[in-house]
Amino acid sequence: MKRFLKWTLGVVLGLLVVAFGALSYLAGSPKDALYMVRYALPHMHRGTLKVGDDAPDARLLALDGQTRFHIRERTAGRPLVLVFGSFT
Amino acid sequence: MQIYNDYKDHADFLTVYVREAHPTDEWQMKSNVKDDVCYAQPKTLEQRMAIANDFTKRFKYPLPFGVDDMANAADLAYSAWPERLYIIDENGRIAYRGGMGPFNYKPGEARAWLAGRYGEVKHPEKTETAPKKS
Repeated sequence: MKRFLKWTLGVVLGLLVVAFGALSYLAGSPKDALYMVRYALPHMHRGTLKVGDDAPDARLLALDGQTRFHIRERTAGRPLVLVFGSFT
Repeated sequence: MQIYNDYKDHADFLTVYVREAHPTDEWQMKSNVKDDVCYAQPKTLEQRMAIANDFTKRFKYPLPFGVDDMANAADLAYSAWPERLYIIDENGRIAYRGGMGPFNYKPGEARAWLAGRYGEVKHPEKTETAPKKS
């Protein structure tokens, strides 16, 4: 039984090391991999929207800091290309 | 930017500014330090607005722009963070759903959708001329 537990533990640890190595490669370094796990992965979601679904609405604030508008207000008549992102 | 210039007569564009991807107090990238793009993660809408305005002014960004609220409503509705592309058709339905950035952020796919509907916009390739020998 002890031998089985040791093997299981070894395999799990090995898989974790391989996964962390792969993540480090993707992120650029082990430090980046840690930051990715801590800061990026909790906010990254594949989502459930599919082509053909009704587009969700959300209220946004214009750059003047005063005007508020809805995404769906911009979808009348022509296709709307939505570009999500940030500065950094 | 090129896709906007090529198709703005056919489609509307809207950039939605969402929470920062690589702020100084989270996962900062060396490239951001090099490019002097160093901001902490905004804690208030005013801070978020300030960064959005910095961005549009610095790059003279021409696309219509909206800022997500501090509850990240647009981000959550579209699973948009850190960057993502969608196209909504005239009937208000998702016509194109891009992959999660940065690895699957592919403007070429959105361009292909627009090209399929409105035709391809070609740009003459820039040809380098060999320097003249004196």
